[in-house]
Amino acid sequence: MILAAFLVAEFILFSATGRNFLQPDNLTNIVRHSTEIGLLALVMMPVILTGGIDLSVGSLLGLCAVLFGKMVQDAGLSPGAAAAVTLLVGGIAGGFNALLITRLRLPPLIVTLGTFSLFRGLAEAITKGTATYSKFPDSFLALGSATFLGLPTQAWVFVAVAGVIWILVHRTTFGRSWRAIGFSPEGARYAGLPVERRLAFAYVMAGVVAALAAIILTARVTQARADAGTGYELLAITAVVLGGTSIFGGTGSVHGTLLGVAAIAVLTNGLSRIPSIMGVSRELSGVLTGALLIAALAGGVLMKFLSERRARRQTSATPSTPSNA
Amino acid sequence: MSRYFRELSVAAVLALMLSALAVFAPSFFSPAPLLSRLASEVPALVVALGMAVVMIGRQIDISVGSIFGLTAVLSGTLLANQVPLPLVLPLAILTGALFGGINGWLVAGLGLPSIVVTLATLVTGRELLSLWQQGRFISLPEGVQWFGLGQTTGQWTLIAVGLLLVTLMAWASRNLAAGRFIYAVGSDPEAARLAGVRPGAVTFGTFVLMGALAGFAAVLNLVQSPQVDPKAGGGLELKAIAAAVIGGVAVTGGRGRLWGVFLGLLLLTTINPALTYLRVEAYWEKAIQGTVILLAVVADRFQGNGGAK
Amino acid sequence: MKRLLPILACAALALITGCGPSESKPGTSAPGGPAPAGKKLSIALLPKSKGNQYFVNVKKGADKAAAELGIELIFDGPTNTDPAKQNEIVENWITLGVDVIAAACENRDGIATALKKAQAKGIKVLTYDSDTTPDARSFFVNQATAQGIGYTLMDTAAKLCGEEGEFAIITATLTAANMNEWRKNIEARLKEKYPKMKLVDTKPCDDQKDKAQQETANLLGAYPNLKCVMAICSPAVPGAAEAVKQAGKAGKVKVLGLGLPNENKAYVKSGVTQAVILWKVEDLGYLTLHAAAALAKGELKPGATSYKAGPLGELKIEGTDILLGQPFVFTKDNIEQFDF
Repeated sequence: MILAAFLVAEFILFSATGRNFLQPDNLTNIVRHSTEIGLLALVMMPVILTGGIDLSVGSLLGLCAVLFGKMVQDAGLSPGAAAAVTLLVGGIAGGFNALLITRLRLPPLIVTLGTFSLFRGLAEAITKGTATYSKFPDSFLALGSATFLGLPTQAWVFVAVAGVIWILVHRTTFGRSWRAIGFSPEGARYAGLPVERRLAFAYVMAGVVAALAAIILTARVTQARADAGTGYELLAITAVVLGGTSIFGGTGSVHGTLLGVAAIAVLTNGLSRIPSIMGVSRELSGVLTGALLIAALAGGVLMKFLSERRARRQTSATPSTPSNA
Repeated sequence: MSRYFRELSVAAVLALMLSALAVFAPSFFSPAPLLSRLASEVPALVVALGMAVVMIGRQIDISVGSIFGLTAVLSGTLLANQVPLPLVLPLAILTGALFGGINGWLVAGLGLPSIVVTLATLVTGRELLSLWQQGRFISLPEGVQWFGLGQTTGQWTLIAVGLLLVTLMAWASRNLAAGRFIYAVGSDPEAARLAGVRPGAVTFGTFVLMGALAGFAAVLNLVQSPQVDPKAGGGLELKAIAAAVIGGVAVTGGRGRLWGVFLGLLLLTTINPALTYLRVEAYWEKAIQGTVILLAVVADRFQGNGGAK
Repeated sequence: MKRLLPILACAALALITGCGPSESKPGTSAPGGPAPAGKKLSIALLPKSKGNQYFVNVKKGADKAAAELGIELIFDGPTNTDPAKQNEIVENWITLGVDVIAAACENRDGIATALKKAQAKGIKVLTYDSDTTPDARSFFVNQATAQGIGYTLMDTAAKLCGEEGEFAIITATLTAANMNEWRKNIEARLKEKYPKMKLVDTKPCDDQKDKAQQETANLLGAYPNLKCVMAICSPAVPGAAEAVKQAGKAGKVKVLGLGLPNENKAYVKSGVTQAVILWKVEDLGYLTLHAAAALAKGELKPGATSYKAGPLGELKIEGTDILLGQPFVFTKDNIEQFDF
């Protein structure tokens, strides 16, 4: 709720002070530019819902991007076939995280910190750092720059993924078991849920979608490089937490995550259109995103505290009402 | 014997690596480069020790790189304006502690998750620093480098400071009540509370300590060169966390020894120069580091007392 | 507090909405040019990254030209090396409605798409510092080609080492596109002209001085016969020099690199660093903006063979390259005269 209000406030402020903010082309830009981070946030959300975290998605995006580029350019695969292989690799990489987390019961934070270095390292080793891939057919590049039925092409992919994940989280037993695991893994296990399988599914899904984001990013930037996606994991986590998902797991919503993605994307875009602060807008939006994250967390705690206190006062006030009156 | 299994196995891997180097690249041990290599890792050691304490207390601090960078630039600016080093050093520690205090207040006071809080302060700090300094180097006045002691004495001083700090902190963590409280809170905050420990105060304390150590480390780093780079400290959090994990600190809190962290950092910081000496191409560095971290956690799992909950 | 609030709000609004009265007034300056009256020219300058002293100096020069010519200068760029960010910023500028985009390209092929899109919308495009594909811009303000930089570095190193012996390179990251371009040219020159020299290793320093210092120290230990360290990103030059100095090899192991004079003065004067190579960065910013304005006003047209950029004088144009001049080698004898 607060976030939706914040988003509306952003729109009002930026359309008043930002140059050409409400121009349709600009709104299209905002959508295009936030697709990849939006995708990562969408799959980060179920992971965080289970009380886990995946720091490796940004690195995996880089690895998948160079693999995809190498397959198209050096091996001469068609973009379609290369995309299929890339998605598979993403799934396997996610599966590797899942294996270490569920089979060996290792903490996700540390496992994905390791694969954060490993995936990026592999991307650098494959390209020796220097190789970049930029020879893609135009039909493929359309994915990143064309529009379909008035919306950017990649927006349709995003909507589809968002739809699937929304249904998974809010309308199926998957979502319910993720929440249960987030509340208490032991409890979920005693309740007879296949905890390992459900956890693994969340991480594999994160891997596959990270690969998808890699393909879309490559199509948009028309180039694949080993450092693609650097730092995206932080933005994705920020969007999810901003969107009201508890970092401890157990509660959260997909639509909240979408609002979180939008709030950050609009903030970054809008700030760079206000004449007097254009020069420092990037740093400023970084600072504000950080501050916003803390404010959202603190606000949540404060609201809970206040409502608890109100509840407590009401219960203690009720018996004493007659004497006061 | 098995109590120290983790420390011994890290030491064994380190010994194996060093003996391989002794055979294939004996120049690795020539004294002057070795000395300067060790001295240049002392700041990372100081930060890793702080990180280990935070992690033993069941939290994590990702913002250390930003604290380190901000204090480095602040101290550099003060020094460049002729404030003497003996005055700057406590100020740097204080500044670091202040930043740590902010983290600690948000985590312990408001009950917010440390990973997200420190992620936010990491980003905020880094961008503020970039706004403020715009990548400008700060030149330090003469007499600051090596504390004015000359290179070799200065390097030995740094190493001595590092060793003293490990010894002190390792002893304190086992023998002082405050040290034991951290382990207690890390293994079970609720039980610790029932035993009369205040988990919030302990957590707050670990973050303040972490900040102070990061500030201290920033000064130990800036005395090793005549200019301060505002980008200093980037990526430090990963190094510190990795050293702690390799050294046997459980991310789930309550377990780990600071001597293990010391060994972990030695192992971690030997890999990179070893690759140079063994003439392995730099492209593999990150992949190898990632693999070592993963191996360390997997090893942790199969360790006898691996009762991480 | 209640009374303070409106005042604060007003102040905040003023801060956000305008940077002064000059904004709303129709262009009072812009001497001579047939700029459409009533609207200031708006030129967007894209650095490879912000918070980098090199581009801070470019901006200094650009600011000077903007003030002289009465231009609105928009300076914005990525805060890290995310290769996708530059594209986003250019696309953002298209909808912002700028007149000219001047870009230093991190991604030669990658950014071309975005720049072409800008051209299709009638925005003039030129590049500076590092080029994109020629069809995506009108002119390239060329301070030194990748070949010029690579060859100068290699030739200078060879001269310092007496054309024989081992040398190593410190770069920013293994993925930095422009440095990879330079490395390619360094290696090409090495193969072509200096058979007795050998490149033994290339190490990344993450654009951090302290890491460059550590890596150089390792290289000095691992390769005892090393004769020269070549640092090709600016924080690495003082870092490498400090390592050589601490190893007691000042003068024995030569240091050279691409860097800013101010950061290296002490080392050059004390004989640790032999040569720092760079061009006059402020002039590059000045020229870029000057040319951008002329391009927008129609004073600079394709096919021109020279261009007069105010105090910089008459500059040659080769094809579509506006040449600033050769890279400059700062040494002990001349470094004191420069302050940037």
